[in-house]
Amino acid sequence: MDKKYAITRRSFLRNSAITVASIGLSGSIYEFLFSGLAPVTAAKISDVKKFLNACPRNCYDTCSIVSTVADGILTKVEGSTLSSYTRGKLCAKGYSYTRSIYSPDRIKYPMKQKVRGSGNWERISWDEAYTEIAQKILQIKKEYGSTLPICLNKYSGNFDIMHYGIEGMLTSIGNTTRATGTPCWPAGIDAQTFDFGTTYCNDPEDIVNAKYLIIWGANPAWCSVHSMYFVKEAQKRGCKLIVIDPILTQTASQADLYIQIKPSTDGALALGMARYILDNELYDGEWLAKNSKGAEEFFSYLQKNITVEWAAQKTGIPRGVIESMAREYATTKPANIWIGYGMQRHTNGGQNVRAIDALAAITGNIGKSGGGAQYAQLQTWGFAYYAMMQKKPENSGGKSDRLININNFGAEVLNANEPPIKMMWIACRNPISQDPETAVVNKAFEAMDLVVTADMYMNSTVEMSDIVLPVTTTFETPGVNVSYWHYWLSLNEQAITPMYECKNDVTIAMELSAKLNELEQGSCTFPVSGDLEEWVGKEFNDAIYKQFGIQDWTELKKGPIKAKTGLIAWQDGKFKTPSGKYELWSDEAKKFGHFPLPVYTEELQPNDEFPLRCISAHWKLGINSQFQNLDWMAAINNEPCLEMHPIVANKFGIKDKEPVKMYNDIGYIVLPAKITETVSPDIVVVYEAWYKGKKINVNYTVKAIPADMGKKATGSPGMAFHDNFVAIKKV
Amino acid sequence: MKKAFVVKSDRCVGCHACEMACKNEYQLEATIRWRKVYQLPENEFGVPSRHFASLACNHCENPACLAACPAKAYTKREDGIVIHHTERCIGCKMCMMACPYKVPVFNEKIKKVEKCHMCADKQDRGEKPACVAGCPMEALEIVDLDDTNLANMRSFLPGFPDIAITKPTTRFITPNLGIQVRGNNNG
Repeated sequence: MDKKYAITRRSFLRNSAITVASIGLSGSIYEFLFSGLAPVTAAKISDVKKFLNACPRNCYDTCSIVSTVADGILTKVEGSTLSSYTRGKLCAKGYSYTRSIYSPDRIKYPMKQKVRGSGNWERISWDEAYTEIAQKILQIKKEYGSTLPICLNKYSGNFDIMHYGIEGMLTSIGNTTRATGTPCWPAGIDAQTFDFGTTYCNDPEDIVNAKYLIIWGANPAWCSVHSMYFVKEAQKRGCKLIVIDPILTQTASQADLYIQIKPSTDGALALGMARYILDNELYDGEWLAKNSKGAEEFFSYLQKNITVEWAAQKTGIPRGVIESMAREYATTKPANIWIGYGMQRHTNGGQNVRAIDALAAITGNIGKSGGGAQYAQLQTWGFAYYAMMQKKPENSGGKSDRLININNFGAEVLNANEPPIKMMWIACRNPISQDPETAVVNKAFEAMDLVVTADMYMNSTVEMSDIVLPVTTTFETPGVNVSYWHYWLSLNEQAITPMYECKNDVTIAMELSAKLNELEQGSCTFPVSGDLEEWVGKEFNDAIYKQFGIQDWTELKKGPIKAKTGLIAWQDGKFKTPSGKYELWSDEAKKFGHFPLPVYTEELQPNDEFPLRCISAHWKLGINSQFQNLDWMAAINNEPCLEMHPIVANKFGIKDKEPVKMYNDIGYIVLPAKITETVSPDIVVVYEAWYKGKKINVNYTVKAIPADMGKKATGSPGMAFHDNFVAIKKV
Repeated sequence: MKKAFVVKSDRCVGCHACEMACKNEYQLEATIRWRKVYQLPENEFGVPSRHFASLACNHCENPACLAACPAKAYTKREDGIVIHHTERCIGCKMCMMACPYKVPVFNEKIKKVEKCHMCADKQDRGEKPACVAGCPMEALEIVDLDDTNLANMRSFLPGFPDIAITKPTTRFITPNLGIQVRGNNNG
């Protein structure tokens, strides 16, 4: 038996050598290790280590991860049990990390494309890539007298603090053009900035203390599943859960009361509730007198302009429901409202958030455990930003950076002149997939002399680039992460050596700087050497140490740490507004062209030609264009669909699973229908995602319509992604 | 002892973390899913809703896979866990045809069948199965049917094949439905 086994084993090894050689070409050693021959490979594993990691995605949950590495291979990821938010669990996306790291689809070395969009790529060395990029940068500077024709588009693909070194790299070559703003949440941030002075939420673990909870236009069941646990826990402790959404989501299906609202009329509901609260004297006059500015003006606005009957008509919610909800909300203490990012992606999104904030304020639910108007927090982001803070080289031309709107990127690139934009650097971003008006964004790419994209996969943005630089994943490089929602700080350790020729964005910056200085001494100020872990250490400062109660960042190697203070937003009553009060009347809002009070701004309506509103909501198996391209996700679902109510389906003669063309004046997509009574008859729903090898992108139909707010806090107005009006027909 | 999965559809939000935690634990082949999340028929509970059931092997009292296997590749442990022994499997797929729940799946790479073993090794070490430990909503649990109050549990859910055939041990807690206010489409 032993002998037989030995032969088997020898032949296995011989075969496996061939396997490795052949797989070596396609590049996945991992595939071999887990090909079902575990007993033999297991015996070979000698060195098992655990590392601390952090999920760096643009996600509420920003999980603390513990990874298992066997003989240098990442074999498993788990949620950290040391974080009371992550609670030892990850989401579907987090659990798929081995598949993204060892995906054969990863970009393995720098490549150059002969003709943009041709797919005719050839491998080049890092030195060749740096030389070509550096020469272009220097040539542009010479020709235009500055580096302003170079444009950076970087955002949230990786929120690790060190990745702000990408902005630092561009600063270190001179004045450049920057895509400024954020696509996701700016209208709501501005609204909270006008009301409170900044956006600041309670610790989400505090949700359990709420006695009444309204989740307003958010779907934590899919987009913040760790918070959903606390929502269920609150319910278990007697909290009533209300969900307001045009879609009967997975979150809404858990509610005690689900309210299907007409899209973009959320402000009308909030103001209608406020009027009822005012008329029935259910407001907290004492809190308002002490903490607010403009209560009288707001109440006067309500009395003159708002009735519950009007709110009922606007929102499609019966008057009696609005009244009973207003009464319950105002009289059940503490009451918490979670304001989602989905509900502010409208042309009146900012005003609607202000109206909801006002509900929390007039009922005195601000600054209290179990209460609040929760949107996001930026409290734990006070890092040193060492990698980002670079000096501009002397005499590099131009007066300052030129800022263009990230939410109308294509058009703004094409319209830029004196000087025009000639080169783009894209990192942590996939604009051709995620931006509105894909066709315009494509044109902007076509107009460039050089497009450099640093990415992991051959996505639609890389396809339109000249040079692609392969970047490391979070497991291949050190870093540090915080959330814009919870209050945990997680160190990210390098768990495995970088795959293939992949490099961290900061390493790329250092090496490009060396090349620039080699070609023209003094042309780039970015440091040319440094240990990445030391770079991480330099991101910390005394304020962060104090907030988290640590002496040194290396203490985080024992596990994630939660902020010691500030877990209940505005508990001290010291608001960051100009008046220091909660501002129902905001002169700052007036300065930015808004009415100073939270008022109703008419929502956009569909028209005869394009009678349906398309909501492109977030997807359970991905975040924006990340994750859904992986094989484990494809095994669950590999095709987007168009959700529609049976009334809509009947009207257009569409049957379940039949292909449907969804179109408007700028573009179209074809995808199968999914007929469901869980969406409102006013809308159709597509979950936005990037499917590998598929050209179905909802943004082909999305116009770059700005939301009302966002300019003050984020530099550009938000995007009204959900004011996308379309028509549908059977194909 | 009769170990069983409890599937709490009143807590499940259909996020797929359980099945991905399973794939992560065992680094399964891309298309192989030992656990799957199913959406329950949306009008099953009176008003439309999005509710789910997460299912893996039902570790049946009369496992049809075990009865059908000509290679004795299946055993049932004293605690009720049905184990498939890969080294004995001849890849004939008889179990796949016999199982009413389509649990055993064929691994094309090794030409053998595989399925959920309730993380028997982990349970023997006193740990929870990967899916149970990995569910952010705590919607899965392992119980001993001989020692559990089953009053609030059901043996089947809509769409579940006839339980008389193999007596699956999986138990379900059905969703709670709230009140829905739906403007122009009141349910």
